[in-house]
Amino acid sequence: MNLGFLVGFFGVLILSHAAYSTIQYRGLLKIMEEEFSRPPINVILELIIGLALCMWAALTFPGKFLSIHPDSDENRAVSLPDNSDFMIFNHRGRLFPPEIEMKF
Amino acid sequence: MLVSSSKITRAREMVTKTEEKQLNQLEIQVDNGGGGTWEYLCLVRNLKLRRSEKVLKHGSSILNDPRKRSALGPYEWTLNEQVAIAAMDCQCLGVAQSCIKALQKKFPGSKRVGRLEALLLEAKGLWGEAEEAYASLLEDNPLDQAIHKRRVAISKALGKPSIAIELLNKYLELFMADHDAWRELAELYLSLQMYKQAAFCYEELILSQPTVPLYHLAYAEVLYTIGGVENIISARKYYAATVDLTGGKNTRALLGICLCASAIAQLSKGRNKEDKDATAAPELHSLAAAAVEKEYKQKAPDKLQLISSALRILKT
Repeated sequence: MNLGFLVGFFGVLILSHAAYSTIQYRGLLKIMEEEFSRPPINVILELIIGLALCMWAALTFPGKFLSIHPDSDENRAVSLPDNSDFMIFNHRGRLFPPEIEMKF
Repeated sequence: MLVSSSKITRAREMVTKTEEKQLNQLEIQVDNGGGGTWEYLCLVRNLKLRRSEKVLKHGSSILNDPRKRSALGPYEWTLNEQVAIAAMDCQCLGVAQSCIKALQKKFPGSKRVGRLEALLLEAKGLWGEAEEAYASLLEDNPLDQAIHKRRVAISKALGKPSIAIELLNKYLELFMADHDAWRELAELYLSLQMYKQAAFCYEELILSQPTVPLYHLAYAEVLYTIGGVENIISARKYYAATVDLTGGKNTRALLGICLCASAIAQLSKGRNKEDKDATAAPELHSLAAAAVEKEYKQKAPDKLQLISSALRILKT
């Protein structure tokens, strides 16, 4: 868990650094009165690395993913709840009450 | 004792495999003296299972210990109710009485406690007094579902299923969406061998909850019991639907398919070849048989030969 958290932290850090560089680059272009088409190559590379790190962290940090299929081996129906609204008490088991004592 | 970590699982319409595994694990753990008693009791309550002996034993051990009882906080009263009902089921009426008395002291004049008292009268076998108690409770709130259902249960306990069916039908005219009641009606009809009416009840259940495979299974079994080629063809369809919804792990449905296939082959002996080919489904049959053998190889290998020879006889 810790590794995922660290990697995610660095990924977010890299992304924010890329954002800051892009803003600075735009400021520079405004001074030189040129048009802004796309950020420089190194910022794009930084963006791709940040994306990869954040995606890896997002998949590993939350832990085990649960299945959503209703017919998967964990989610399949095994039995229905016993209908206890209509439960009756005169069954054979009433002749063998367990020995329980109450102290209150 | 971790009361704050009671993961209150949502109450579901059916019990899944993970929940069953968790329940069995907790049961073994609690029986051997390990902790987790409160989680076990919560799980049994949420899954609405009827484990009265265990609930009584472990619930009363918590209630008898004043330290553990106070650690529960407000959940003490839900535990009292749960233990009271479990005690009535095990016929420990003294325990039930003391639980109900504690609840009465805490919540005087409560309808829920009044229902529990009437339930205690039922458990004691005083059917007349129980009926009167329910009638008086119904005067105050005539649309209380639980009380109507208890009246049906009283007729069932007295061995009068026809009266129980009448009462249940009247109840279902008012509360048509109550699945438990439809299930109960289907079982009552089955006990009287009124299969067509039971099939109707299961149809209602499948309409309202098409994703629960066990209703499809029950409907298929009723159709198979009624008999006749058309019904058995429909039964085979519903067995196949069950197999689909449970990911192929329901052995009963797989065996049902094999039995249906053999029954159809026998019943359509007199027909001509085209009719027979239209109703037969050889791939389905052989796939189901293979799946059954695989299950047996995994879970009961010593019975594999028995089931293989049975399936071979069904195929011919």
